[in-house]
Amino acid sequence: MKTVVLVSGARHPVSRRPALTRLEAQAASLAAKLGGTVRGLHAGPSDDQLREALGHGLGEADWLEIEDRVDPVPALIDHLKAAAPDIVIAGRRGEGTGDTGLVPYALAEALDMPIIADVVGVSPGAGSGTVSIEQALKKGARRRLVVQLPVLVTIHPLAPPPSPFAFAAARRGTIRHERIEATGLPTAKPSPFVERPYRARPKMMRQAGAGQAGEKAVLVGPTPEEAAERILAFLEDNGIRRYSA
Amino acid sequence: MTPAAFLPYLILAMVVLAGLRLGQRVMLWRGGRAAHVDWMAGLKALPKRYLVDVHQVVDRDKSASRMHVPVAGGLVLASGLLVLGLVPALAASRLYWTLVTLAFLVMVAGVVLVARRRYPQPMARLSVGRWQRFPIYLAAFGLGGLVTAGLAAIGNPLPALSFVTLVIAAGGGLKLAFDAASGPIRHALAGATHLVAHPRPNRFDHDEAKGRSTGLQSIDLNAETLGAKTPSDFAWNRLLAFDACVQCGRCEAACPAFAAGQPLSPKHLIADLAAASSGGHHRPYGGHAYPNERPVAGEGGLHAKVISPDGMIHPDTIWSCTTCRACVEECPMMIEHVDAIVELRRFQTLELGAVPLKAEEPLSHYRGCDEPNGRALAERTDFAAGLRLPVLKPGERADVLLWLGQAAYDLRGQRTLRALIQCLQAAGVDYAVLGEDERDCGDLARRLGDEATFQRLARENIAALGSVTFNRILTADPHALHVLRNEYPAFGGTYDVVHHTAFLAEMVAAGQLTPQALSGRAITYHDPCYLGRYNGETEAPRALLDALGLERREMARSGKRSMCCGGGGGAPSADIPGDTRIPDIRMGQAKETGATTVAVACPQCTAMLEGVTGERPEVKDVAELLWEAVQASATAAPRDSRKAKELEPA
Repeated sequence: MKTVVLVSGARHPVSRRPALTRLEAQAASLAAKLGGTVRGLHAGPSDDQLREALGHGLGEADWLEIEDRVDPVPALIDHLKAAAPDIVIAGRRGEGTGDTGLVPYALAEALDMPIIADVVGVSPGAGSGTVSIEQALKKGARRRLVVQLPVLVTIHPLAPPPSPFAFAAARRGTIRHERIEATGLPTAKPSPFVERPYRARPKMMRQAGAGQAGEKAVLVGPTPEEAAERILAFLEDNGIRRYSA
Repeated sequence: MTPAAFLPYLILAMVVLAGLRLGQRVMLWRGGRAAHVDWMAGLKALPKRYLVDVHQVVDRDKSASRMHVPVAGGLVLASGLLVLGLVPALAASRLYWTLVTLAFLVMVAGVVLVARRRYPQPMARLSVGRWQRFPIYLAAFGLGGLVTAGLAAIGNPLPALSFVTLVIAAGGGLKLAFDAASGPIRHALAGATHLVAHPRPNRFDHDEAKGRSTGLQSIDLNAETLGAKTPSDFAWNRLLAFDACVQCGRCEAACPAFAAGQPLSPKHLIADLAAASSGGHHRPYGGHAYPNERPVAGEGGLHAKVISPDGMIHPDTIWSCTTCRACVEECPMMIEHVDAIVELRRFQTLELGAVPLKAEEPLSHYRGCDEPNGRALAERTDFAAGLRLPVLKPGERADVLLWLGQAAYDLRGQRTLRALIQCLQAAGVDYAVLGEDERDCGDLARRLGDEATFQRLARENIAALGSVTFNRILTADPHALHVLRNEYPAFGGTYDVVHHTAFLAEMVAAGQLTPQALSGRAITYHDPCYLGRYNGETEAPRALLDALGLERREMARSGKRSMCCGGGGGAPSADIPGDTRIPDIRMGQAKETGATTVAVACPQCTAMLEGVTGERPEVKDVAELLWEAVQASATAAPRDSRKAKELEPA
């Protein structure tokens, strides 16, 4: 059985660095447990995510290097047509900057493969050329399907947790690099918007400290000037506003 | 020929037998990885290492040092004298035999002291089994030799008795020699060789800062195997170190994980590693089992995997370690337990990815965003909103670079940092932080065996530190201090790093901060392992607390022999269950002093000790106590002036 695990160009939600998503790590582990020949596949400008997938159990991978913002689907279609895998496993949503989560559907249509979404388990089927797939439904329900190969599946988060990352496995795994020229492929237009991750403002916390208690003083009938001075001094002392700076 | 005349030949036979047996062991050591050893320097330093460094540790238990000097001294002296007995003129001299008798007498006196530690009831931390039988062989050799030589000294009046005692001496002596490679006596020869070929020779250099010999050594990430899978993956002098163990159990008595009922005993671990290298099945072990021992198959071999339920040691054992180094500090044979544990963890993490379930999360956060808690680097300074916290941009300079560390993300740690920053402002220190360019120092990743992540973070941090100018790095986290000071130099970053307790003590001594006495409060100071034991800094925090006028009470375990809070080495992440929790034990010790406040100097210790439930002393960082005292003096001053005003009319 030949399995290909699709790896997207996802980014880490906090650092925005290229990173493998948990779903795809689960896909890699699921494929590695299934056995047969398993390869990772990524089309994009860097191979960082693929390298990480190797650490989660993939032995080998193909990296189709294309420029940023170039649609990866045609390159993937060409590659998959030549490779003719039995099972293609993908994540189920975009988790990066430009990805849409529609790639598995586009591929299934172009390759004329059935697509099964939200899969939590794959095992060899009873008959030859079939595979038994467990699909997650709402409210914890599961559905078992026996499907004729080839098939494309997307992974559900409730699939078995990914096998832990091992640096040595990532180092030993091999990536076959192929450069795909962008000519003739449709290019996404650069976005007119500047994207910036949401950043909560730091909260101003009232200063806890023993010092304030000692300064408590009751002013009886202060002059307006004196009262204002004391209020400003209080705000200044507690770092709520700065007038002097 | 008198029976005594056979004694020199007995010694020769013992030397030959011991040599043959030990030869097998030497072949085993050669199965380890190559290591650079400066033999000449080691041999030259041997007497000092033995008489000073080893003795200082042994002497903490007086019954051990008082027993060892006569036994070992008597044995070596008697054997040495007896070899001279091969000279016929000497063998005929009664004076010579009197000297030999005296040497044996010293040894026998020592054997009596040994026996008193073991009979009728052995001390709890000692191993029994073959270790319990060891004094019997010593006594046979010593007493047999004593009577045989003694009779020769008075003219051999009872040849029949002399013959019987010679046979007894021969029996004991040959048994000792036969056990030279496998029995208790192995510690003498392996121990001496270990002192010469020690993997960390600079730990004996007392002029050097202590931290230089406690930092973990880095590994080549392009090596064929990362970390230790089998005994043969250890350097040969590490295998030698395992053989040097005397199973005195001091490590076990000091181990916080053992005390908490987690499946770790440093003594058992070292005994297992020594047994693993010689192969076969689990060797009889006479000490306490690992607490809540996990079942293992117990199969070992020089080229068999060690850490596995099918091997010698269960993975839970190595993940229980807090890397507090208490075992290393207590070991009279100078064994480096923590190095061995980290080496074993490296294989588990880097090659197998077999980290405990809960430790996967911080490691994956490290890979994704450089912080084990998964927070953005830009959020590190958020806690200081409203405080002046200058951020150094590349090319700028400050006198003191404040390394905030992971505490900046933790509400409790933030309180300490705020107090520290306010102290710095009050003292007029020129300080700044790295802001977004500060990544985690990588301490946790390294202790969990993820050397790859650590090395990446070290390089990135060194690059960030190289882009700005400063004189010193100040940090409130002893783990960051240790890593920056002692483990970054291997990657080209050498810095003057100071802990906040030392820095603030300096400020107070120089009069830049004038705290008012916080009298009427009893405190006890809990030494962080990474400050006290790893870096030898135990005085500055105490000096600072004394300057605050606090009544300082010491716990039974303090200074370099302090007990861990349970927060180091990734142990809270690994979270191996035990019978109780380490911080509960430590807080119990703090309570015993009757102190109302535990002064701490590490965010890990703060978190662990504050996690103790029920009635307990409050936990305050030294910086918080100082800031309280500084504020008290600021408010006290105007009060005094008011008093003066009141006095004026009268």
